Amino acid sequence: MKTLTSETIENLLAAQGVPLAAGRAERLAPGVNALNVADPLRDKLPFDVDPTTYLIAQERAR
Amino acid sequence: MSEPATLSLAQARAALERRELSAAELLQSCRRRIERWQPRLNAFVSTELRFPGTERGALGGIPLAHKDMFYRAGRVSNCGSRIRKGWMAGTTAAVLERLDAAGAADIGTLNMAEFAYGPTGHNEHWGDCCNPWKPEYITGGSSSGSGAAVAARLVFGALGSDTGGSIRVPAAACGVTGLKTTWGRVSRFGAMPLSHSLDTIGPLARSAEDCMLIFAAIAGHDDRDPITSRAPVQVDLGARALRVAVSSAWIERNAHPQVASAVLAAARFFAAREVEAPEFDLLSAHCLTVMQAEASAQHVQWMRERSQDYSSAVRVRLEAGYAIPAAQYLEVLRLRTMWLERFTATTLADADLYLCPAVPVPVPTREETGPRGGTEMPQRLAQVTRLTRWVNYLGVPALVLPCGFDSRGLPIGLQLVGRPFAESTLLAAGHRYQQETDWHERLPEPIVAS
Repeated sequence: MKTLTSETIENLLAAQGVPLAAGRAERLAPGVNALNVADPLRDKLPFDVDPTTYLIAQERAR
Repeated sequence: MSEPATLSLAQARAALERRELSAAELLQSCRRRIERWQPRLNAFVSTELRFPGTERGALGGIPLAHKDMFYRAGRVSNCGSRIRKGWMAGTTAAVLERLDAAGAADIGTLNMAEFAYGPTGHNEHWGDCCNPWKPEYITGGSSSGSGAAVAARLVFGALGSDTGGSIRVPAAACGVTGLKTTWGRVSRFGAMPLSHSLDTIGPLARSAEDCMLIFAAIAGHDDRDPITSRAPVQVDLGARALRVAVSSAWIERNAHPQVASAVLAAARFFAAREVEAPEFDLLSAHCLTVMQAEASAQHVQWMRERSQDYSSAVRVRLEAGYAIPAAQYLEVLRLRTMWLERFTATTLADADLYLCPAVPVPVPTREETGPRGGTEMPQRLAQVTRLTRWVNYLGVPALVLPCGFDSRGLPIGLQLVGRPFAESTLLAAGHRYQQETDWHERLPEPIVAS
């Protein structure tokens, strides 16, 4: 997957109306991109799972 | 009895029942200690009596104080911030209602990281909270005042919140016992939100037994928090067979030698069996994705209108959240189900609990983790929460308790992680360990000298 550039980050925040000091996007970029990690379970994720499915899993895992 | 405030909550309760002590004497003792130690620790934001306590109830007459983010109608909750300084709550938090019903006194509000969004205890608006063992070291955060006040015996227990480690890091750094509850076990109604998929509330106290007494009072379904489970709350510290899992090789490779030595000694106490380490770093990254996206959404109006009123550290964390794509955030939440199933089916396949350090490194100083911490500061902060965030992503409960001290005399914390809703098992394990060890009974040196 492609990483987000500092320019993209600047635009994303501007689109949401959040002010960003000059040069701050460069500082944010490494941390934001570090969160986009390869997950070995991603390919096995069933289509029908949504975030609320977690509550059922939680009860099942007691 | 020389100093009633140095008793454990369970001992104080027993002394009240036997009428060896009065609630007024307990309160006076706590107040004396607060007066003496607040200038050194900065643990309290306010020492106003918010609820006097009652004679009846499981916690009748016991002085507690709580992180300054649990609302009480008609009283101020500053949330560690400049933005909410002096803000008056219109409702009372469900957890405070339950503690009031149990008879506990609420004797003040405790310092915290700004909007609970920081792991160290720094706060540029309200002043840093200082570690009772050595004030130049961090208390951990974000429930910094809760950890410091309990460790210094200023109160018998305190509520904290835990979104990425905010109960467990202060418990470890201050040498007290802290319970991060299952997501959905304790109502968050009337508590300041940070990240709704991760936020949990729990006690910090002097022992697992004390945590159990507070947990029993606050846990359970609440119609005003729709994610709270309707399953009955069961608490029992009685002896039971406990199967504990550990990943010794991972600890030896990744934790500081003094931390590893103390934690592996605790693993031997529990006769822990070896399992492969969970994917700590991957799950921690997922936790951060969820936390940053949700916290930034929660704060968006203030970030648009008055971002200058945040500290630089919190502002940077919030800014990062607006750059996380919605699809990435939601995919990580969809994956959560599979990771929980994997944890319970593999790591806990033949075990009730998983044992690891709370913090894999010795407690750092305030200077090296603060604004003047230099280029290594981000890496130091990442180490502090390396072993706590994965637990929030899975939504499972964890207990942190002291298991030793490093060569500088600062506490080392042991973390026990359980299945969803296994708080009773965690507390029973902690109680068993604390019956055979005395780490939790040790007092910070300056306090002993008082």
